[in-house]
Amino acid sequence: MNTLASTQRVLIVDDETPARERLRRLLDELGEVVIVGEAASGEAAVRLAGELQPDVLLLDVRMPGMSGLEAARHLALLPAAPAVVFTTAYDSYAIEAFEAQAIGYLLKPVRAEKLRAALQRAARLAAAQLTSIARADPERPARSHVSARLGDAVRLIAIAEIYYFSADQKYTTVRHRAGSELIEDTLRALEGEFAAQFVRVHRNALVNISFLAAVERDPAGQHQVVLRETGERLAVSRRLAGELRERLQL
Amino acid sequence: MISAPGVRDVGRSRALSLPDFCAARAVLAVVLIVTLTAVVLSVARQNVVLGFWLDLARTALFLLWTGLGCAAALCLLRRPLAALPLATAIVGALAAMLAVIALVSAGVLWLGGSSLLGARATNLLLPEKPWHFFAANLGIGAIVGALALRYFYVSGEWRRNVELQARARIHALQARIRPHFLFNSMNTIAALTRSNPEKAEEAVQDLADLFRANLSEQRSSITLKEELEVARIYQRIEQLRLGERLHVIWDVTDLPMRAQVPGLLMQPLLENAIFHGIEPRPSGGIVTVSGALDGDTIGLTVRNPLPEAGGAAHPGNRIALDNIRERMELLYPGRSSVEANRVGDEYIVRLRFPHVEDPTRISSL
Repeated sequence: MNTLASTQRVLIVDDETPARERLRRLLDELGEVVIVGEAASGEAAVRLAGELQPDVLLLDVRMPGMSGLEAARHLALLPAAPAVVFTTAYDSYAIEAFEAQAIGYLLKPVRAEKLRAALQRAARLAAAQLTSIARADPERPARSHVSARLGDAVRLIAIAEIYYFSADQKYTTVRHRAGSELIEDTLRALEGEFAAQFVRVHRNALVNISFLAAVERDPAGQHQVVLRETGERLAVSRRLAGELRERLQL
Repeated sequence: MISAPGVRDVGRSRALSLPDFCAARAVLAVVLIVTLTAVVLSVARQNVVLGFWLDLARTALFLLWTGLGCAAALCLLRRPLAALPLATAIVGALAAMLAVIALVSAGVLWLGGSSLLGARATNLLLPEKPWHFFAANLGIGAIVGALALRYFYVSGEWRRNVELQARARIHALQARIRPHFLFNSMNTIAALTRSNPEKAEEAVQDLADLFRANLSEQRSSITLKEELEVARIYQRIEQLRLGERLHVIWDVTDLPMRAQVPGLLMQPLLENAIFHGIEPRPSGGIVTVSGALDGDTIGLTVRNPLPEAGGAAHPGNRIALDNIRERMELLYPGRSSVEANRVGDEYIVRLRFPHVEDPTRISSL
């Protein structure tokens, strides 16, 4: 390998400007890496990772909106996902989880020699590892977005924009304001994660409660839900009709 | 470094803490107890010669003189006794009470020996064997007095314990600075040391002042001006980190700046408002701190936006509120209030407490 190929391309992600500044300076002083960009939020990190194709993300765990952990979970979808080194000031649950999963992390304020060592060891993380860490997060029981793979990039879909999830034998489709996408999550997993916001209306459909306009019966006596904004109708299974009524009355 | 400061006065030498017998409440209590005792004695004796009422009057007269005399003696001796070591103070108090009993008994005997009351009254009301009467009174006085002193000592110890526990809890709670805040501030300072050394220096000074305020244990109350300054220091440090995302509006010019307030009143509220209201919002927001004097009551209000729907909310902001509520209740029993409400898309915390400018008065409200 020549030196150019071994030069790591790094994306810095932290919501605090001084924290990004400091990492940039430390990386400059290390001299072995190229800083391809900076992001101030999880969403921006996922988007920039698609555009800039970095080798490593220095990813702050705690950010408003999408956390670093969630951003890493979305990026883990990519076949050529970047390696991730988490940074944190003090998140005891995350630190415990990183230790348990042998995931690289840096404590802020970051020391130059630890940064160097972490970059050398940085590895891409498996989706399963990240999912199990996310479950330990006491503050964020569910993701803020679901993600679909789009070539070398990840497309994020905010939960509040989603009308419903539907599933056939192989795929889960997410129908949202800007269209529809195939995603890798199973309907069962989504139902568990977003139980507060979505309700199962059928074996193959999970609907966002805030887009439910009405529950009606068609002439054949079959229950249907009508969606706000699109007016789409989804079949409600006989078994779930009662549960749905109860849930909507709450 | 941020471990809870120890409570120092626990080992203060134990002293006899007598109730204040000069106070009207205590005098009333003495009168009541003495009269009830006289009733009990008269009922139990069933004196056939005198009859119940006469016996009661005689007993009550004697016991009231003794009881109120002892109360007066202890009232006069309270300060000197409190300064003495425990054993000496107990002996002194007991001796004073026995002296009063001896005096009253001697008075009774003198009255019996004189011809002031007339022969019939003297024969009926006064004791037949003077020396027996004298000795019995002193004996009973010694036993009852010792029991009373024991009771005062135990209840005083109990009260002191309760107070110490409360103080220890205050200190433990005061010493809690969010570790997140500490390490993030350190990170900010590390960044500034190269890019903006002056700002870094300022931040270190601010952090030092903030920790000093958090760790100080001498004073339970400080002036409102000092307290607001601590909160402003806190804001300056967070401002470096959060930049444009944090706006704090201070509307406190109408407040009496010399008023005494519990330490760390505003800073934890501001910390909460930023931690729960600003940090979880990607776009940040405005925290408003306002205050007004309403008659004798100071009202302070801190409002912050709620986290955006679907955003992450930090759990558990009750601890700081409970802590403030407890400390205010200790300082102004029954005269303060802490309210926290969601109103629309805002979270509002309101404090109300009496306006006191003399630090020595604050604990005796």
